[in-house]
Amino acid sequence: MTENPIVAFSGVSKTFLKDGASFTACSDLSFAIEPGEVVAIVGETGCGKSTALALLLGLQEPSRGAIRVLDVDPFKDFHALKGRVGIIFQNDRLLPWRTAIDNVAFGMEILHIAKAERMQRAMHWLARVGLERFANSYPHQLSGGMRQRVSIARTFALNPPLLLADEAFSALDEITATALRNDLLSMIGEEKKTTIFITHSVTEAAELAERVLVFGRPGRVLSEVRAKDMIARGGTHADVAAEIRESMKSARSTSSHAMAM
Amino acid sequence: MHGKIADSTLGQRAGPSLWARLTAHRPAVIDLVAVAALWQLSTYYFSPAIVPPIQDIGDAIWKIFSQWDNLVSLLATSLRVVAGLSISFVLGAALGVVMGLFGGVRTYARPLLHMIQGVPALSWVVFAVIWFAQVEIRIAFILIIGTLPAFALYIDSAVKSVNLDLIHLGQALRANRLQILTKVIVPAIVPEIMSAWTVNLGNAVRVAVIAELIGSTTGVGFQLLQAQAVFDMAGAVAWTLSLVAVLFVYQGIISLVESRLLAWRPRSEVV
Repeated sequence: MTENPIVAFSGVSKTFLKDGASFTACSDLSFAIEPGEVVAIVGETGCGKSTALALLLGLQEPSRGAIRVLDVDPFKDFHALKGRVGIIFQNDRLLPWRTAIDNVAFGMEILHIAKAERMQRAMHWLARVGLERFANSYPHQLSGGMRQRVSIARTFALNPPLLLADEAFSALDEITATALRNDLLSMIGEEKKTTIFITHSVTEAAELAERVLVFGRPGRVLSEVRAKDMIARGGTHADVAAEIRESMKSARSTSSHAMAM
Repeated sequence: MHGKIADSTLGQRAGPSLWARLTAHRPAVIDLVAVAALWQLSTYYFSPAIVPPIQDIGDAIWKIFSQWDNLVSLLATSLRVVAGLSISFVLGAALGVVMGLFGGVRTYARPLLHMIQGVPALSWVVFAVIWFAQVEIRIAFILIIGTLPAFALYIDSAVKSVNLDLIHLGQALRANRLQILTKVIVPAIVPEIMSAWTVNLGNAVRVAVIAELIGSTTGVGFQLLQAQAVFDMAGAVAWTLSLVAVLFVYQGIISLVESRLLAWRPRSEVV
């Protein structure tokens, strides 16, 4: 770990209280992500991925531990991260009353970027995702894949140092998802973005990430798969996927063992 | 490849032709002709004092639109409706948004608004006469109290049903509360705002006429009272029809605004 990781979770726990009962979503969660890294967080449903994302975005306060994102506490200094963390959601979350170009410009509008500049940047990124012809189309006039491309353009238009992709391809069919994954990876490479993919798809994690963090219940890193190193040593994405599956299997047995105790 | 285009309406949508628009109103025209024919038929069986001939009603309508004093009455009611509705909308929308955003306010405001809605317009007229000396203030009060609850309740429900994903998007982009309100919530509730205007317009016209019955010296309500005093049925019908015509003009304006503001909606959602 370097001195200035982009993201650092140190002994983070998050407990929710509901109807008098407490539920631990994350327990002693620690990991760091270095500048320029492309990391995947993978784990089964309910393993705390979404809670970790909410904590990282500063939407929730940790019950214990410390989180630093781009050198600030994302919860306490919520607005300090304005425009610095881009997120691509599972569903496109386009505003239906805005055209594609106005949707791309939305994040820049929040940042009070001048209209001429935001329109220029919006058109540049729409063109980059291959949708310049559809700049004036409304979301309902676009297919699911096209809408997700618009949402990717919206994220890149902000030029954030950190990118988060939360199950970004899981709502798309396999062919569209594969095409979009490849395009996104090349954009991340070109722009040298630090990126965190949150996914439950082992294949996706193996293909996208240089490093994979395998989460187990309750919300902690059980193992780490260094995909980039494996590929550099002559391994394949299939080998990486097999390694992740093996880690998840042991994570499952560890979790059930812990629950049985 | 970027996937197929999901909707054949992609790009500029061509509006319906003039002929198509006219034929869309055919049922209304047929209704109007049928009612007029029945009315004219009735004139053979009833006294002209009870069912005046269409010719007399036509003459009375001509008098309304050709004589300045009469036109002032029609304009007065029309302007009172617009002014009252506008004030009511601003207050009702503000209350509706606050109710939609803050559950505590909603809990206490909803029963109160339903209670106000249950009070007959005539009761408000009586209260207004006792409370306010100025006629215009009376009419404005009755109009506002009669239409504000519907605006507030419509907008409250609309705010509550805004897609949470869109609000979360605003939060993730770290928009402040004002930005989330103006850039996400308000545009999202425009369809419900337009529905509230459509519903409240007819309501406001009815309430305005009732409000003008007492103390007013202009307006359609006042003119109806005058017609009743001299048993002028043709005049009463003419004033009523003129007001309905004004209502249709307002509804047309609302439809026009609606089609502009909601141009983004898929055709299938546009009623």
